[in-house]
Amino acid sequence: MTSSLTIIEQQTAINHNRIERGLLLLAGFFLSVNFLGLALLQDTNIGHWLHFVTWLGCAVSGHLILNRYLPRRDPLLFPVVMLLSGWGLILIDRLAPIFADRQTVWLIISLVALLITAIFPQVLRWLRIYRYILLISGLILLISTILLGRNPSGFGPELWLGIGNIFFQPSEALKIMLVAFLASYLSEQYLSLRADNKMSRFAGRFAWLSPRIVGPIVLMWSLCVVILLWQQDLGTALIFFAVFLILLYVATGKTFIILSGIGLTIMAAFVAYQRFSVVRLRIDIWLNPWLEADGRAYQIVQSLMAFGAGGIFGQGVGQGSPDYIPVVHSDFALSAVAEEWGLLGVITVIVCIALLVTRGLRIAAAHQERPFYGLLAAGLSSLIGIQSLLIMGGVLKLVPLTGVTLPYLSYGGSSLLMSFVLAGLLLRLSAEVRST
Amino acid sequence: MTIDIVLFGLRVISGLLLTGFLTAILVILWRDYRNAAVAVHVNRRIYGQLVALTQIENIYAETGARHPLLPITTIGRAPTNDIVIQDTFASSEHAQIILRNGQWWLEDKGSRNGTLLNGDPITTPIIITDGDMISIGSTSFRLALS
Repeated sequence: MTSSLTIIEQQTAINHNRIERGLLLLAGFFLSVNFLGLALLQDTNIGHWLHFVTWLGCAVSGHLILNRYLPRRDPLLFPVVMLLSGWGLILIDRLAPIFADRQTVWLIISLVALLITAIFPQVLRWLRIYRYILLISGLILLISTILLGRNPSGFGPELWLGIGNIFFQPSEALKIMLVAFLASYLSEQYLSLRADNKMSRFAGRFAWLSPRIVGPIVLMWSLCVVILLWQQDLGTALIFFAVFLILLYVATGKTFIILSGIGLTIMAAFVAYQRFSVVRLRIDIWLNPWLEADGRAYQIVQSLMAFGAGGIFGQGVGQGSPDYIPVVHSDFALSAVAEEWGLLGVITVIVCIALLVTRGLRIAAAHQERPFYGLLAAGLSSLIGIQSLLIMGGVLKLVPLTGVTLPYLSYGGSSLLMSFVLAGLLLRLSAEVRST
Repeated sequence: MTIDIVLFGLRVISGLLLTGFLTAILVILWRDYRNAAVAVHVNRRIYGQLVALTQIENIYAETGARHPLLPITTIGRAPTNDIVIQDTFASSEHAQIILRNGQWWLEDKGSRNGTLLNGDPITTPIIITDGDMISIGSTSFRLALS
């Protein structure tokens, strides 16, 4: 009995390795073709090839190490992450070559972080048992950003902490810390949250009034307001609140939570529109950018132009002109993809992100008897999902633009590092799924 | 001139590779979900229920009551049974139906008036199957498996 099971397991492990290797090969070919195109167009620059070789080394070593230590992982996650991050390297080489070396170094650091979180099983346990330390250090990070925050470019919102020439955006780390804290807190409250349903009718109807649920809602809501007020960071505040609502909904199964969350968001949006110029600007240019196409809406209008210029198959790497969009390499990475790889490229990016989210939710569904794992997987995958939706919708003018990065693809060291840590956690969680 | 052709070729290859990546992902996903569906089908619990019957002049008609079977389902007059029957001919703990190795067994628990399977009284535990009729006193059930 047991021996046959291990044979089946070995078989699936071998199968998984083959799938991962195949997808990584395809991604590698795609990237090499594009690096070649870029090298032909720009001055022959040995640096580009160095970046590609670094990516190749990361992909191969990551694949081999994961094979060795984590044979039962989900085979789709790692190739998708590597494709998007390699694509991000091409974009930076193309659009902002001065940042490319820095991003390549971040890629190596991120891969190491991914492997550490994926391979060591203690990481999940630490996230669960040290949750208040996590929460407090997250809040300290937030406060220190408010007090000491800087901006590497010298102007704009001060969301970075810097030592010398190295900058880190604490809100990226804060996202994962908060998801882990909430997953841990809610999994401890899981039984009582669920049991409320079965109390007497009166108590059941008003169970949502219990401080167990209302307390964290108010706490998180005020935290988001703090981020919004002091940091003017609309995107991060929205992501925090949405992910928190989804986690609470997953834990309790009460539709009321989603409804009240939408209500609170609309309320906050109204007040913010009245009081804050940043929010008013974002909503005005979302409703009609064409009035100020040369002025405040220049960025979004140029992004729409880039989508139009790309067409179905795109203009080819290095042959479009996405550099008309200001700071295209960070928030507007998808517009650059649209112009140079066209609809096909955009669909690939969307499929990759959707894949990460759905696989994450599947992992969550497989962990029903272990609430912490389930909630953590659900929270992490909705984190990727919400953030990608906000920025992808933003550059397409489907939702008001909020300055967040597109995971894996955008330029940004802290964003890349935290996205890789997130992928590492998902890989670990996928390996923990018991086969039936 | 030649560099344009090379670049065009590279664009075509890059597009093809993207399509290939997408196709590979879709194929893997499709296989994965198909395997998951098969696993769900195999793991599904063997499901049976007792359909209560009433006798009207030698014709049996369904009363509409259906009792899903548990791995051990007890039948009798006492309210502690899984299926409680209001019948003066039934003993308080009359019979039970047990799932054993994937098959349903009917067993009389030493009742006073006996349990009939398709009209014959049973003495030992016996395997029952779809469509069998179980009678206790004047109450009858038909076994429905799915």
